[in-house]
Amino acid sequence: MVRITWNDGHVGDYPRKYLRGYCPCALCQGHEATTVRYIEVAGAEIEEIGAVGNYAIQFRWDDGHNTGIYTFEHLRSLCPCPECEK
Amino acid sequence: MVTVESVLEALKQVQDPEIHRDIVSLGMVKNLEVVDGKVSFTVELTTPACPLKERIEDDCKKALSGVSGVSGLAISFGAQVRGSKVGAGPTDLLPTVKNVVLVASGKGGVGKSTVAANLAVALKLHGAATGLLDADIYGPSVPILMGVKEEPKKVPVNGGFKLGPPIAHNIPVMSIGFFLEPDQAVIWRGPMLGKALHQLMGDVHWGELDYLVVDMPPGTGDVQITFSQQLKVSGAVLVATPQEVALADVIRAKSMFDKVMIPIVGIIENMSYFICDGCNKQHEIFSRGGARRAAERFNIPFLGEIPIYGPLREWGDKGVPIVVQEPQSEISGIFMEIAAKLAGQLSVASEKARGASPLKIVSS
Repeated sequence: MVRITWNDGHVGDYPRKYLRGYCPCALCQGHEATTVRYIEVAGAEIEEIGAVGNYAIQFRWDDGHNTGIYTFEHLRSLCPCPECEK
Repeated sequence: MVTVESVLEALKQVQDPEIHRDIVSLGMVKNLEVVDGKVSFTVELTTPACPLKERIEDDCKKALSGVSGVSGLAISFGAQVRGSKVGAGPTDLLPTVKNVVLVASGKGGVGKSTVAANLAVALKLHGAATGLLDADIYGPSVPILMGVKEEPKKVPVNGGFKLGPPIAHNIPVMSIGFFLEPDQAVIWRGPMLGKALHQLMGDVHWGELDYLVVDMPPGTGDVQITFSQQLKVSGAVLVATPQEVALADVIRAKSMFDKVMIPIVGIIENMSYFICDGCNKQHEIFSRGGARRAAERFNIPFLGEIPIYGPLREWGDKGVPIVVQEPQSEISGIFMEIAAKLAGQLSVASEKARGASPLKIVSS
């Protein structure tokens, strides 16, 4: 689980598989990006999390995949908590 | 009797005019001593190029005039540039640089490189440790504008080697132009470009810098994306020309920097007017005020208007920034003032970035 505490106080708990599934990179989403794809993987462990400039974070998954740049905006829109799901 | 506490209490009425918080809670009051009613302290400004030093001094005097028993007052000034990098991790490519500031424009030909070179030297003249990085892959002109003749040299750093930038007009200068054959165009695609820029950022031995001024290529492309992803940038300054159509370029540049969350700390209008040496009339060749209106519309600080001035270009071609060649001229005064305002806005941006709970990655 990845827990994100936002500066407005909101807290979101993201299952790792779910984050990996919604990887925003062009390899996962394609270049047309008309619909959002969910990539099903067997397991997803995080090896490293890094900051990208002022606006995003990047994960390195245990299968070596690391091309997804998760902007804060994208992460917030992915928040799976019941309140945001509504 | 005057005490340290009563003096601090009084100084809480003094606000930093730009950050809009009191100087005591900002930690700017240092070395406070009270001996027999004689008060002395140092105000540690957030930049040596502080545009509002006199005002802070006056406000301190005013605040302490209300404290009874003060028989003497000595205020001195120091400066400690703070930088916005709180959340920067071990991956920080420029750990010794406090503030990276991008000089950018939506399109080419606005005089961005000339402005960047003069601003960098002006910041240095104000007393800040400053470096200049030329990332304009399409037209790296900083080596010419700064009159750099030598190449970067390999210097030993922490058991390895880094590139030591040449020093020109007292500031370290690095340019992507140093790595290109003269008169050769750069025909690189994204990944190659990213690699070259990565080296230009991480493999250079800048030393301790308050400000690294980056001359960006025009537009919104690969280089901009690379900088926004690989560095924690404190802010971007947009250079624009006065005509209405320039507004469209400002909007484009702004929308890009908004996306990557780099604050725009100011807009500068270049080529605002021309003073005729024959009749002394101000000619507004490209109209005037377009950049100011764009700044007002988007609520971005407007830093100033730079006129068209022959010697600015002539001395630029000879490798001498005008602030060095003609320090007493009106245009140098304008550059110094813009540099001070820029430094002030960077302090504001830094304070905001530090206050907005920066990204922390923790594992459990």
